[in-house]
Amino acid sequence: MRARWPRAIWTVLAWTIVLAVVFPLIWMIVTSLKPQAELFSIPPTLLPETVTFEHYRRLLTETPFPRYFRNSTILAVTTTLVVIALGTLGAYSLLRFRYRGREALATLVLFTYLMPSVVLIIPLYLLMVSLGLANTIASLVIAYTTFALPYALWLLRSFMAEIPEDIESAALIDGAGRMEAFVDVILPQALPGIVAAALFTFILCWNEYLFALVLVNSDSVRPLTAGTMNMLITAFNIDWSLLMAASVLMSLPLIVFFTFLQGMLTRGFGAGAVKG
Amino acid sequence: MNAATATAGAGAPSSHERRDALLGVALIAPTVLVFSTVILYPLVSAIYLSLFSIYTPTLGGEWVGVNNYGELLASGRFWNAVGNTVVWTVGTLTLQLVSGVAVALLLNQSIVFRSLARSLILFPYFLSTVVAVLVWRWLFNDLYGILNHVLLMAGMIDMPVNWLGEMPNAMASIILVGAWKYFPFVVIAVLARLQTIPEHLYEAATIDGAGPLERFADITLPQLRDVLVVVVLLRAIWDFKEFDLIYLMTGGGPVNATQTLSLLVYEEAFRLNRMGMASSYAVAMMLVLLGFTLLYLRQTRHPLEEA
Repeated sequence: MRARWPRAIWTVLAWTIVLAVVFPLIWMIVTSLKPQAELFSIPPTLLPETVTFEHYRRLLTETPFPRYFRNSTILAVTTTLVVIALGTLGAYSLLRFRYRGREALATLVLFTYLMPSVVLIIPLYLLMVSLGLANTIASLVIAYTTFALPYALWLLRSFMAEIPEDIESAALIDGAGRMEAFVDVILPQALPGIVAAALFTFILCWNEYLFALVLVNSDSVRPLTAGTMNMLITAFNIDWSLLMAASVLMSLPLIVFFTFLQGMLTRGFGAGAVKG
Repeated sequence: MNAATATAGAGAPSSHERRDALLGVALIAPTVLVFSTVILYPLVSAIYLSLFSIYTPTLGGEWVGVNNYGELLASGRFWNAVGNTVVWTVGTLTLQLVSGVAVALLLNQSIVFRSLARSLILFPYFLSTVVAVLVWRWLFNDLYGILNHVLLMAGMIDMPVNWLGEMPNAMASIILVGAWKYFPFVVIAVLARLQTIPEHLYEAATIDGAGPLERFADITLPQLRDVLVVVVLLRAIWDFKEFDLIYLMTGGGPVNATQTLSLLVYEEAFRLNRMGMASSYAVAMMLVLLGFTLLYLRQTRHPLEEA
């Protein structure tokens, strides 16, 4: 424990910075609750004088927003399930089996994890057109796999690496087959890591924009990111409080996950790659 | 780690080991299959497409060999984008690094409600870029944005600033928003490392009469060195290829002044409808990133050891 006086100073300094960093988000919430007229008052009011949920009501009843929300949910959940299923088996294989090409494969996973989407977008666009999948949610699921699978594999591998090999060996000596050992021993041990990886993958898909911009062009399949941006671009008068309300709702799943993932946060988004 | 022993023992694999290896291959097979079709095949065809001239709406194309690359090297647009990408990457990365390390040091102190502060600071990082951009464009709004109001009231500016519509403001603005969005990554990594520095190192230095600055320079920085190298490499890769944030903040404008390579690829392919040309830009990007990735691999030594 250090002296009391410096602690107060550190606290004030740190919290000033934290509040400055989250101010844009506070402002987003405040704006979404202000009546339209108050938005343009000079000077701006720091807290809404009258709180209104009118923008949320309009967003949910008069715009395609609920549709976008639905599309995003389907898209992110499907991609996450596919990628986590493939990734869990793949990560287990990369970690605990010895075969030729294994290391090259691990390097390749990393390489593709760092590869820009913009390089893949042209061939993928052509692929979707030729498969007749252009403008479908399926095309986005396939496209999202390109970044979600390497990401999930990398993440799962780093989580599973922490499971002691002895436990598995013990099961094998007891006569369990490799797959039995996997299902009975590895999976339960890896479950928290798998859940965390799934949530991170979900967030990644939920937030994606470029593929959604290029591969779909109708409101019936647009996810939230591209849809909300489209609302901004096509608006005659930009309705900022409506857009802020959309931003708040779009961030809701993140806030929920955030509270769940507290302890995992340090590791997830670096995909375990930063352990120096 | 075990690769060496595996190769050494590979002389006479027992039937048991061979069956195991087979199972290992079977488990990775679906991943490899998906990888090949959605990642490797597109990567290879990007290179192939860059040798054609393709009109996007009809997708009709003709072989032009390396002409696209000749045009690329001779075109001002490419070098303009390279320049912008470098300015953006170096600018935002420097800001992320400095503020990230500073905030990590601060949050490593025993402050009140420390874990809450640590969680809140990460928020921008997890937010969708679309949300971040919407919020910042509202903050930057020239007529009703709070930023201009505050600066006007504080007397720091005389008239509202056009944050995104003119240079050099537009570049400075995206660098700032980029730093705000991505510095938490540096905080996470550095904070995790700070917690593993043994306290007795500091105690010993204090006894030897070292001040806070000396302790930072002699103990903290050397201990952070490895993690900082990896953070810089990763962030450099991610900032280099950033599309969403820049595209949505400025669209590359005013007049291409913030157009980076990613934006150039998109514009060529889907606005100017020249897919072959766009592919050659994309391949050029890929080469640069390959270089970065190799550096990263060398730094982390071994992909399978680095968990």
